[in-house]
Amino acid sequence: MKQQGALLHFPQTLVGVPLVSEVVRNYDVEVNILQASITQTEAGRMFALFQGEAQAVEGALQFLRDHQIRVVLSPRNVLWDEDKCVDCGACVGQCFRGALSLDPQSYRLQIDHEKCRACELCVPACSYGAIEALGNTTNGNGDA
Amino acid sequence: MMSIVRTYEEINDRIRKKQAVVVTAEQMSDIVAQEGVTAAAKKVDVVTTGTFGPMCSSGAILNVGHSTPRMKITKAWMNGVATYGGIAAVDLFLGATELAAGDPANWVFPGRFTYGGGHVIEDLVSGRAIELRAEAYGTDCYPLKEWRKPVKLADLPYAYLLNPRNGYQNYNVAVNATAKRTIYTYLGVLKPNMGNAGFSSAGQLSPLLNDPFYRTIGVGTRIFLGGGVGHVYAAGTQHNPDVPRTEDGVPRGGSGTLAVTGDLKQMSARYLRAASIAGYGVSLAVGIGVPIPILDEEMARFTAVRDRDIVAPVIDYSRGYPHNEGEPLAEVTYEQLRAGTIEVQGKQVRTASLSSYARAREIAGQLKEWLEKGDFLLAKPVDPLPGAAWQGNRLKL
Repeated sequence: MKQQGALLHFPQTLVGVPLVSEVVRNYDVEVNILQASITQTEAGRMFALFQGEAQAVEGALQFLRDHQIRVVLSPRNVLWDEDKCVDCGACVGQCFRGALSLDPQSYRLQIDHEKCRACELCVPACSYGAIEALGNTTNGNGDA
Repeated sequence: MMSIVRTYEEINDRIRKKQAVVVTAEQMSDIVAQEGVTAAAKKVDVVTTGTFGPMCSSGAILNVGHSTPRMKITKAWMNGVATYGGIAAVDLFLGATELAAGDPANWVFPGRFTYGGGHVIEDLVSGRAIELRAEAYGTDCYPLKEWRKPVKLADLPYAYLLNPRNGYQNYNVAVNATAKRTIYTYLGVLKPNMGNAGFSSAGQLSPLLNDPFYRTIGVGTRIFLGGGVGHVYAAGTQHNPDVPRTEDGVPRGGSGTLAVTGDLKQMSARYLRAASIAGYGVSLAVGIGVPIPILDEEMARFTAVRDRDIVAPVIDYSRGYPHNEGEPLAEVTYEQLRAGTIEVQGKQVRTASLSSYARAREIAGQLKEWLEKGDFLLAKPVDPLPGAAWQGNRLKL
């Protein structure tokens, strides 16, 4: 069994085509859509977890690539820019699932990607722009 | 009065010879616990402290040099951020919390505050070009009325960090006790029903908490500032030594502050970072390290302070703080705050720090290295900060 997170970029021409349904029907993979920002008149962005036999998952992703979807593999739900992070721990206070913590010895930030569910509550708490949730919509406002 | 163990001059002599015994405040706590105050005072010359967190009362005093023809600047903007030009012809003050012109602030709630004075300072220190735009009414000797040009830090004849209030000696712990929605404050994004708590202090590593009565930190003290060398130039704004203290003299809430300055050209973005505080505004996170000479046993005892010895008041930031009303909801220790949960009125509340303990430790370590290598000398204060009237039991061995 394999679980693969992927960020999918849909060009505007394909937004009306139900490609995810085709993937589910033809490749026997579970698709768990965590975040999506898609309207008919704009390009779309979707972050989903694909789960199934390794071959089926790879087949599904290749199917999407063959249909001009840009597929960015990401085992992670959040992108953490270590250069921007100052290890303050403000984000830690927002995380319900315990995915964020400060190491008790070094006090450096630790991210448990298995626990993260990309709820994005940590994003506005970071004053240094070090955390970006992958499903983030583009309204630029930072509301969870 | 106990006998003086060493003087500033003696310590500086040892520093010059690269023989100074220097430890960080964390290490000092261990040494005193293991060997006792007397032995620690005999052994250790200097204790280094550090802190890194958003310090809103920060800015830069800049001289942008003269144009041809010359100009008497009345208004100026750096990357769209207004500076204060009502001082001389080409001197400007840039405040960390000033927003860029046209920034929507929190008109669309809560607002991201993506660019302001703090970002200009970080851009300058990082060597990036900033657009300077200036206006003037023109005079016979300064005829130019409009000026626009890119500038980098290296082009500015003079650029000093000028921070009227930094390094707070202790501070509040914030919770949201009464609002029905999440509130956005400078101590964090606070969820309703005391869903979480925010605090900002380096605690046992913090400069003033290791010298609670300002015996060694005063006007002229040489410090690590933003990665370079700076000085304390005065007590900071809101400096208040007369607050309730523990038996060991540690203030039980926000107390002393430092006004600091230093040459921006010596500094680095690792210790000077712009902060976009959601729903609140722009600020500047400043890294400060202060060396504390162990003049006698009392200084050894003070620098042994641990997080469990330092308490802070939990304040309601939904109603109490904004409206200057109400009493603290609880008093908690920094050990509890750092461990991740505090108890407030029977409820377990998750905590988060806005101040980076890891970076404070890094700064204390860097300053220790400078002292050990003989690259940094102690400066005895030329005048003290206003002191505390409290005369309680000053020494408990």
